[in-house]
Amino acid sequence: MPDIRRKYVIPGELIAEGNYRPVANVLRVGEKYYSTRVGMAEVGHEGVRVIPLSGPYIPRVDDLVVGKVVDYSAFAWEVDINSCFFAFLPAQSVFGRDYSPAEDSLTSKFAVGDMLAAKIFAFDRTRDPLLGLAGPGLGRIPRGEIVKITPTKVPRLIGKRGSMIRTIEMATNCRLTIGQNGVVVINGSPDGVLMSLKAIKLVEEEAHTADLTQKVQALLGQRGATA
Amino acid sequence: MSAVKKSLVVEQLRRNQMIELLAQGKRMDGRGLLDYRAIKIETGIIPKASGSAKVTIGDTQVIAGVKVETGTPFPDTPDQGLLIVNAELLPLSSPYAEPGPPDEGVIELARVVDRGIRESQMIDVSQLVIKEGEKVYAVFADVSILNTDGNLFDTTSYAVVAALLSAKYTKYEMVDGKLRPTEVKEALPLRTIPVSVTIAKIGDSIVVDPTDEEEAVMDARLTLTTDSNGNICAGQKGEPGTFSFDQMLSGADTSRMKGQEIRNLLKEATGYTG
Repeated sequence: MPDIRRKYVIPGELIAEGNYRPVANVLRVGEKYYSTRVGMAEVGHEGVRVIPLSGPYIPRVDDLVVGKVVDYSAFAWEVDINSCFFAFLPAQSVFGRDYSPAEDSLTSKFAVGDMLAAKIFAFDRTRDPLLGLAGPGLGRIPRGEIVKITPTKVPRLIGKRGSMIRTIEMATNCRLTIGQNGVVVINGSPDGVLMSLKAIKLVEEEAHTADLTQKVQALLGQRGATA
Repeated sequence: MSAVKKSLVVEQLRRNQMIELLAQGKRMDGRGLLDYRAIKIETGIIPKASGSAKVTIGDTQVIAGVKVETGTPFPDTPDQGLLIVNAELLPLSSPYAEPGPPDEGVIELARVVDRGIRESQMIDVSQLVIKEGEKVYAVFADVSILNTDGNLFDTTSYAVVAALLSAKYTKYEMVDGKLRPTEVKEALPLRTIPVSVTIAKIGDSIVVDPTDEEEAVMDARLTLTTDSNGNICAGQKGEPGTFSFDQMLSGADTSRMKGQEIRNLLKEATGYTG
């Protein structure tokens, strides 16, 4: 039996005693493990970790993020990725290696206010994160409704192997782009967008409860039947 | 690289959505083009001030305090009391506000509010004289912006006006060339209630009471202040965009119409009957 013990904790609360690996948001003092955040503590064979209830988005390499261009210089765009860090998208990663500030105009690709889907290319906490656009589906987002949710709740919105996002997409006939930074872009018919919005709100409000997929299915199923 | 940006950048997608909606006569928050957000006016919230008020329009929140002191008149107006309006944007009020000396936006704000009150001749400054050329009353109105969500001009103006309407000041008397406070407390000598109305031009549409997001997208802004008789007594145009002649005329009508509505709110909140 994969015994994982879960409980709600507040900062400073003792989670476990013994020999574990401190995975995330945990402070180890001798053999004791204390939480550093408000959230759900999990003790299992992987170690001890706390999944925070709220908090900012901390970039990780290879994360898909949805960002907003807020500024640009001769060599890079500055992108607001809903984090405590602003990210940079180097001009070379868009124009190629032979990018020349004299010949290529950054605004011809992305202007201030444009939304884009990108991957975190590099980040080590000492410098601002770098973005990359190499990959399918990355680049400027031409249309859609933007919603922000708490970044810590993104895993619940995606669900196990994408089950939640699939449920919402199937029921509403919309296409969801979910950034790990908590920014979601919904594309679809106006009614579908409204329904997706409701579902996303529900996930955000009840992210810490069990049977979330069933609740969302019930919401969407009922709406679907009456609509 | 600083993590603080100077102003709000609205996503292009949202900007397009907003302009599309406005073309249909609707706004992002469901208001009509000429609807204000809910206005809440509270007075007497700073016990030590001569008069004070807190005004909330939507999520914008401003607190104003009025203090009446004595001072020397300006040499060119020896027979007039003083009025000084100052505004301060608290760093907590917005993610884009920074501590330090006020930026030009806040200075403009204080000047526009000051001008509206001054030019409407709301306060009869000739009655604020203790001894001509030597001692007069000085009315200081200080404003702190607690939270920012657009339309600071109107919110600040209403807060200062409400504070002035509810203010009571201590009378002084001259004894042997020296000023001495008396027991008498009086309301300020007021003549009219100026109300400022700010309109914004977004695309081809004109809206009143713009939110922060709408202000970030607007092409031009116009603040008109009317007095109790509906006369326009002060104005300020901001941002590079332009208004057509017809837009100016309808803006003047709007400021009169909305001004009367808000004047009633101010009277109700302060109990002022003049």
